[in-house]
Amino acid sequence: MSAGVFGVEVADELRGIVREPAALFFSIVMPVAFFALFVSLFGKFGDGGLSAGTTMIATFGAFGVISVVLMNPGLGVASDRERGWLRSKQVSAVPIGVTLAAKVVASLPYAAGVIIAMTVTAALTGALNAPLPALLRVLVVLVVGALPFALLSLAVGFQVGAGAGAALLNAVLIPTSVVSGLWMPLDIMPAFFRDVAVFLPNFHLSELARAQLAGGPVLTHVLVLLGFAIVAAVLAAVSYRHARS
Amino acid sequence: METVLEVRGARHKYGATQALDGVDLDVAAGECVALLGPNGAGKTTLVNQVIGLLPAGDGEVRVCGGDPRVAATRRRLGVVQQALGFPNTLKVSELVTGAAVRAGKPRAAAGPVMAELDLTELAGRRASKLSGGQKQRLQLAMALVGDPRLLVLDEPTAGLDVPARRRFWQILAERRERGTGVLLTTHIIEESSAVADRVVVLDRGRVLAGGTPDELVARLPDRTVIARTGLGLERLQALPGVVSLRTDGEHVRLGTRAPEALLRVLLAEDPGLTDLRVEGAGLEEAVAGLIERGAA
Repeated sequence: MSAGVFGVEVADELRGIVREPAALFFSIVMPVAFFALFVSLFGKFGDGGLSAGTTMIATFGAFGVISVVLMNPGLGVASDRERGWLRSKQVSAVPIGVTLAAKVVASLPYAAGVIIAMTVTAALTGALNAPLPALLRVLVVLVVGALPFALLSLAVGFQVGAGAGAALLNAVLIPTSVVSGLWMPLDIMPAFFRDVAVFLPNFHLSELARAQLAGGPVLTHVLVLLGFAIVAAVLAAVSYRHARS
Repeated sequence: METVLEVRGARHKYGATQALDGVDLDVAAGECVALLGPNGAGKTTLVNQVIGLLPAGDGEVRVCGGDPRVAATRRRLGVVQQALGFPNTLKVSELVTGAAVRAGKPRAAAGPVMAELDLTELAGRRASKLSGGQKQRLQLAMALVGDPRLLVLDEPTAGLDVPARRRFWQILAERRERGTGVLLTTHIIEESSAVADRVVVLDRGRVLAGGTPDELVARLPDRTVIARTGLGLERLQALPGVVSLRTDGEHVRLGTRAPEALLRVLLAEDPGLTDLRVEGAGLEEAVAGLIERGAA
């Protein structure tokens, strides 16, 4: 499979996002807008180390990238399936895995865009106090760490329509993000939130990103995310085999 | 002559329903084979096996000698499916160029095919905004741009007006002369009769008959006597020369090879006979007759 074919697939997906950006508006603008609100209110707080605004790049950033990769590829697949376009791709000379990978890859620049927008917002409000290398590590960790969520998104997209898929994915995204402390610190939340959060990949992604800024162990978070990636890949594969036509 | 499609013993089950039960089918280079049969005959299942969406059970499907479930084999395959919805965001030229690249052809291959299908002026238009006929032409352009050895057409002219339909078949005739084989499914039986070299009749997952349209017509009565009559169905079936009997609303349709003898008896037995007419039996009658016999 040539790079040219993959390039065509990614280009088609990017055109789809650029020419019809309504879906991504909510998954990009909403997290960044929330971030701007919270960072302007609490961004300069801190305990002498990292400012709250810098820490929020890891937590709100995790919410932002998950939001992008959870919504985009799956809802795209659901729409393609409903109009018969997915079937057209399945009978083309391109392995279907390449088509699906292109959908995921095309959402990554937008995920990175969320992090960059949040970082710039934190800097503009004077709440950013982390060195550039650490911020770049956060960017890489969040974008790469969000990939398993894209597989989960595809698993949903193979089974339900775009409208139902958006509702279902939001019903997964928002509660798990709140419980994982991506919107507000777990320290100020009820204790049982943390008990639940340790079982959620959202929590481990944000903790892994936070470790790039504040240091701390990463192995557990990496292992949990790897495990989640395997489960999501199996779910996506099973869902594809039983995809509704 | 090179065989571009070979199907041997294709089977498929949906739960307890045997959708295909040992189907054999060949399409030679440049040949057009029409697949006919009632709803539920197994046509869609067979087409899905040919285009690689379904396995062939314990049978075998080969497109130009390769397994169509392998992506590389599908470079030799072009598909036009019915009622395809294009993405809202892609333009005609992007779709045809993309199809060329996916089929391993240069981007420049898109231009001539778009011109051949009168799509050049629509190049910058979003595909989802095209009319039904334009969308069908776009699908055909995307299928042809890879220069396939086998084209699979599923109800390709549904929704096209007569001139568009003629143009469609004219373009395909040119491709067939260059060796592209065609597997066609359609409900427009007259169209099959006009464009197909061979017709294969499927019913309940089995091949009932196959041959040229003329051969199929010759197997069945060459005249149909249509009338309103007071005679019972049992008596009608027993009349001399009747080889098939169907009711069509208040009329009966009697297939026969000896219409004169049948008419004499019919008029003698039923003086109240009305709406009498005699028609030549065509491919539609032949296919219906074959399916009736198969069901009997």
